[in-house]
Amino acid sequence: MAIAATRAPVRQQSRARARRNALVGWSFILPNFIGFAVLTLIPMGAAFVIAFMEWDSYSPPEWVGVENFERLLGDQSFWIALGNTAYYAAGHIPLTMLAALGLALLLNKRIRGLGFFRTTMFFPYITSLVAVAVVWNMLFNPTMGPINQFLEWIGVQDPPGWTTTSAWSMPAVIITSVWRDMGYYMVLYLAGLQAIPQEYYEAAEVDGANAWQRFWNITIPSLRPTTFFVLIMVTIASFKVFDLIVVMTDGGPGRSTLVLSQLIYREGIRENRFGYSSAISLVLFLIVLVFTVVQFRIQKRKED
Amino acid sequence: MSVISTLPEVDRLADELTPPAAGRPVTAKRRGPRLNPAKRVILYVLLAALTLLIFVPFFWMVSSSLKHNNQVFSIPIQWVPTEFVWSNYVDIWTRIPLLTYLKNSLFLSVTITFLQVLTGSFAAYGFSKMRFKGRDVLFVIYIATIAVPWQAYMIPQYIMMQNAGLVNTHLSIILLQAFGAFGVFLMRQYYMSIPDELSEAARIDGLNEYRIWWRIILPLTKPALASLALLTFVSTWNDYMGPFIYFTSNDLWTVQIGLRSFVGQFDAEYAMIMTGSVISVIPIVIVFLLGQRFFIQGIATSGLKG
Amino acid sequence: MKRTLVSAAAITAAIGLALTGCSGAPAQQDDDGPVTLSVSVWNMEQTPEFQALFDAFEKANPDITIEPVDILADDYSEKVTTMLAGGDKTDVLTMKNVTDYARYANRGQLLDVSDVVESLGADNLAGIEPFDLDGEYFSVPYRQDFWLLYYNKGLFDAAGVEYPDHISWDEYKSLAEQLTGETGGQKVFGTYHHYWRSVVQAIAAAQTGGDLLSGDYGFMEDQYSLALDLQTGGNALDFGTAKTQQISYRTMFETGQAAMMPMGTWYISGIAAAIESGASTVDWGVAPMPQIDAGDETVTFGSPTAFAVNKNSEHQDAAKKFLEFAAGEEGAKAIAAIGVVPAFSSDDVTAAFTALPTDDLSVTTFSEPKDVVLEMPVSEYSSDISTILDEEHELIMVGDTSIPDGIATMDERVTGDVLE
Repeated sequence: MAIAATRAPVRQQSRARARRNALVGWSFILPNFIGFAVLTLIPMGAAFVIAFMEWDSYSPPEWVGVENFERLLGDQSFWIALGNTAYYAAGHIPLTMLAALGLALLLNKRIRGLGFFRTTMFFPYITSLVAVAVVWNMLFNPTMGPINQFLEWIGVQDPPGWTTTSAWSMPAVIITSVWRDMGYYMVLYLAGLQAIPQEYYEAAEVDGANAWQRFWNITIPSLRPTTFFVLIMVTIASFKVFDLIVVMTDGGPGRSTLVLSQLIYREGIRENRFGYSSAISLVLFLIVLVFTVVQFRIQKRKED
Repeated sequence: MSVISTLPEVDRLADELTPPAAGRPVTAKRRGPRLNPAKRVILYVLLAALTLLIFVPFFWMVSSSLKHNNQVFSIPIQWVPTEFVWSNYVDIWTRIPLLTYLKNSLFLSVTITFLQVLTGSFAAYGFSKMRFKGRDVLFVIYIATIAVPWQAYMIPQYIMMQNAGLVNTHLSIILLQAFGAFGVFLMRQYYMSIPDELSEAARIDGLNEYRIWWRIILPLTKPALASLALLTFVSTWNDYMGPFIYFTSNDLWTVQIGLRSFVGQFDAEYAMIMTGSVISVIPIVIVFLLGQRFFIQGIATSGLKG
Repeated sequence: MKRTLVSAAAITAAIGLALTGCSGAPAQQDDDGPVTLSVSVWNMEQTPEFQALFDAFEKANPDITIEPVDILADDYSEKVTTMLAGGDKTDVLTMKNVTDYARYANRGQLLDVSDVVESLGADNLAGIEPFDLDGEYFSVPYRQDFWLLYYNKGLFDAAGVEYPDHISWDEYKSLAEQLTGETGGQKVFGTYHHYWRSVVQAIAAAQTGGDLLSGDYGFMEDQYSLALDLQTGGNALDFGTAKTQQISYRTMFETGQAAMMPMGTWYISGIAAAIESGASTVDWGVAPMPQIDAGDETVTFGSPTAFAVNKNSEHQDAAKKFLEFAAGEEGAKAIAAIGVVPAFSSDDVTAAFTALPTDDLSVTTFSEPKDVVLEMPVSEYSSDISTILDEEHELIMVGDTSIPDGIATMDERVTGDVLE
């Protein structure tokens, strides 16, 4: 047929274009990818192979199969750390996202002193960690700290012991981390908010939509890529939480704030059980991967 | 089929989507949502309260930096020092080579931020605006690596660096942090929100991909570039573990290690730590205020921006 | 697509492992002529003993220059571990504690320095025992700290009580109660217990003959009830506050907020410096650690600090020369002069130690014979057990578990999870 006769050169042409496209596409990615592959991908791959080995960095590594993972199942500290990590994530993810979005909305207005307020909200994130830990532990002090003094003043009979008790140390850490991180994600939300065309709002106003309707029907849908990005980043950051806990409670009291990445550090860098430490990392990685993939799926379904 | 079919028209479109050049008057009408006076007052009260709440720890930092070392942890808490020890701000420069540390931190942060923004936005274009085989798999690998804690592959990485002879050089940290997956992911998300029609149109008009990236996409994403730059700068500036593991010579140290070196084995000079903390925050505040200009410019633009 | 992923991972892993495997044996260089010797130290600025040692050594050996590798104290072991894993060539490594020493030595990362120990004479070196690994030494101790009781003479005089001369824990407790009060609007605690677990556990082990590695911790019970009583009675700052506020014990003692304080001998150089600079005006003295029964026999605990030679060092002869100097009489005199207690003992060294107050009790505390038990015994389990003991110590001290329950959990976790 006539169509068949013309198809062959078209296919050839499109194949050439695909090849050219791939070449150009790779040329964009390559400058970043080379550095990324050599410095992140290779050591990471090595770490995952080490998860099936017994290795202390000095003697040659020895293949032990899934032994490290079997040990994991019987390690009480691992289960406690896993539970604590989930606890932290469950508190930190929603609270941080809400606070960050709220701040971004408040600060996306046309008012005097905007720069000052934005800078203030970003302050917690740029303050050195040592100072953060010191001052929050002071605020949380059960007897002399301002927080409990305030709680007593408003009539709370028996205010919590915060970082000095196993029951309240994790909430204290979550509060501090939300305070610290909200400014960071606020910046992302602000960039997202500014990408929403003002005309949308003007048109909605002409149509008589109230503030809530405009927020729900314009702001929220337009922010979807940003929200998705923030959600992924907060989720990953929550599961990887390390430095704040180390400086604030160091996992204590007891093991009440011990998290997985701390256990990885402890087993790997301190005890030199690189195989076992890598095995925990692999498990943590798989958990985060599952969460991320699920979030991607949901996001995709919404887009379609 | 695109409506725009000649090069000058693309240029006009791109121009329309670009923030106005500095000095060009910006009409007040376009600068964000307006507020009536009552709402404005409520907003100010709310912001003032929030600011106060958020500022408490920083206030404490400044107040402690003006105390004697052994007065920082007094019982009960002293919010305002009884005696202002201004000399902490003079002494710190001689107690530790703070100027060298600041220079090192600045050098690392600027270099890494520059490389990360450049390579990140470049790669993001490939991931969002180009279609080719293997693209999505590669992207998934990128994101997956963000999920792995650094502690897990720190040692293999260190051994590689040691064998390459890069341990104890600034280059090691630059290489480690400049090619992060985070920047690629962030920029890709913003590029995704730019309609594909824009680059399609430019393509039909004969612009090659590199020019589309440079002429159209980059100017459109200034706020995103500003946030990526800011976040990269801050995380490099505040990073402790990386420089700690890789730098042994004192003249390579960054501000964060310098600060930590005050926390001794059996003793801590807390007032000095706080003095150092206050000084260490100042450069970031400056960078943030500079970044503000870009955010505000973002608001002021026409076209896609509000 | 899945297959490409897997193979990509396999390839990257293979390259990674190939890289990890290729740290070759060091080339030994000739040590004739000028040599630069690198020595790992912590917080050089705040730890003057290192500079004192290096200056003295360079003076005695003009052809050797010392290049300190300054590491932060808090993360010292992590950093050295990472360095060694990467095949670092730093010549001399300072062993901050015996647990790390055992780890590096057992892994074969340190050079055998038995000949240095032999030439100095093991008998002259206090705290040498834990460094003996099947008759071989991989490190030489140069300082030996032990714990004693610091006290504030001014507060004792004001309360009209006698100085704590060879007291028992019961007497210690009643002294703490008597000394608690207020001076000049400032709360004064009878004593201050720092939040380290050794303050309770190591002293209990030393004085009852208990073993911190045994998995049977009943011997800690009395010491825990003492510590808890003092804190509930308001005679010592509570653990939760001390720990979460990262209270500096120096502040507690130097500002007169604590009348007594069990602490290690390293603090002597610290407080002497504070008084010399005018930062503190405390009139202080030292007494022996309180005992279970009052008497002249003193049992306390302590921990040595040592130098070792990296097996990857390219200047092993010069490094050994440094060890011999630093741990020997010359090095001991240099550090004694700034108030640090050297491992090497001789009359000259004692004469050089001048930072101590000159009252009889302080002098006796130092000169009397005493039994110094190692703070944490050395075994392959030391570090794991230490982590467990730390965690349970916190729970007991903040009152989240009772003493018997806490001790039972220690027993259970150490025997079940570590010793098996």
